[in-house]
Amino acid sequence: MFQWGFRRDPMWAEFNRIQRNINDLARQMGTSVRSSIHPFWRTSRIFPLLNVVRTDVSYIVTAELAGISAEDLEIKVEGDTVVIKGERKAEDFGAEVSYHRRERTSGTFHRSLTLPTRVEADEVKANYVDGILTITLPIEKAAQPKQISVTAE
Amino acid sequence: MADEQLQVSDKEEISGAEGEFTREGVYFTPPVDICEMEKEIVILADMPGVKSDGVDIELKEGILSIEGNIAASDVAGEELLTEYQKGNYFRSFRITDAVDGNKIAASLADGVLKVTLPKAEKAMPKKIPITTG
Repeated sequence: MFQWGFRRDPMWAEFNRIQRNINDLARQMGTSVRSSIHPFWRTSRIFPLLNVVRTDVSYIVTAELAGISAEDLEIKVEGDTVVIKGERKAEDFGAEVSYHRRERTSGTFHRSLTLPTRVEADEVKANYVDGILTITLPIEKAAQPKQISVTAE
Repeated sequence: MADEQLQVSDKEEISGAEGEFTREGVYFTPPVDICEMEKEIVILADMPGVKSDGVDIELKEGILSIEGNIAASDVAGEELLTEYQKGNYFRSFRITDAVDGNKIAASLADGVLKVTLPKAEKAMPKKIPITTG
């Protein structure tokens, strides 16, 4: 998010307020400054929400998925696309209970994500710890950045 | 229920108006299930990213507060897509039922915190036998 200066100047307080509102509005609409810079990455509203980080050799996709057993998760990779499927089962306490609150949701989900390059499907690793799914997808060798050494003669 | 598609639910950030946290960082309200059984009340709270040593549960003057602090992640690289924000979790409840404070148990599995509050003896329902005669 961008920031205007002169924070202490009361004249700018109003501008700061407007800026905050714009940022809040952008967040509510599910967009960020980042996704408007990168048109390739449209922010989606499909469960689960994903974060993607690119390192030199791989893409790291993470999702917050609390309370899912690893066997209920299915991950498929084909070319440059990764598909995450799964189900979150409801906790069963039997019939003899009265619910005060039920805010946690259950159901199935299915999401596919297209990455900017192809990945080595055989070397993809998925890990589920503390309710966080982490998928490490090595970038195909041909698409990895190469260091070119400059020679001076 | 099983065929229902899960929908995205936004994480609810706690605003500073209710009193700021001393620890820096974003705090979210975890979604919870609370259900009452014959002998206990069970609270389930979704706190993905929290390890068991990051959980803090306290019952004080009838207020049960649960706090989950996420472990710092070491993933470094270019952020291509950020759909969700990471943050700590905090929520508190006023416990009106008589709960035995010494017997509160908690466990954490796959990012779900389970707090079991056993009811105090006097709050347990008593069966009154009806005699006919």
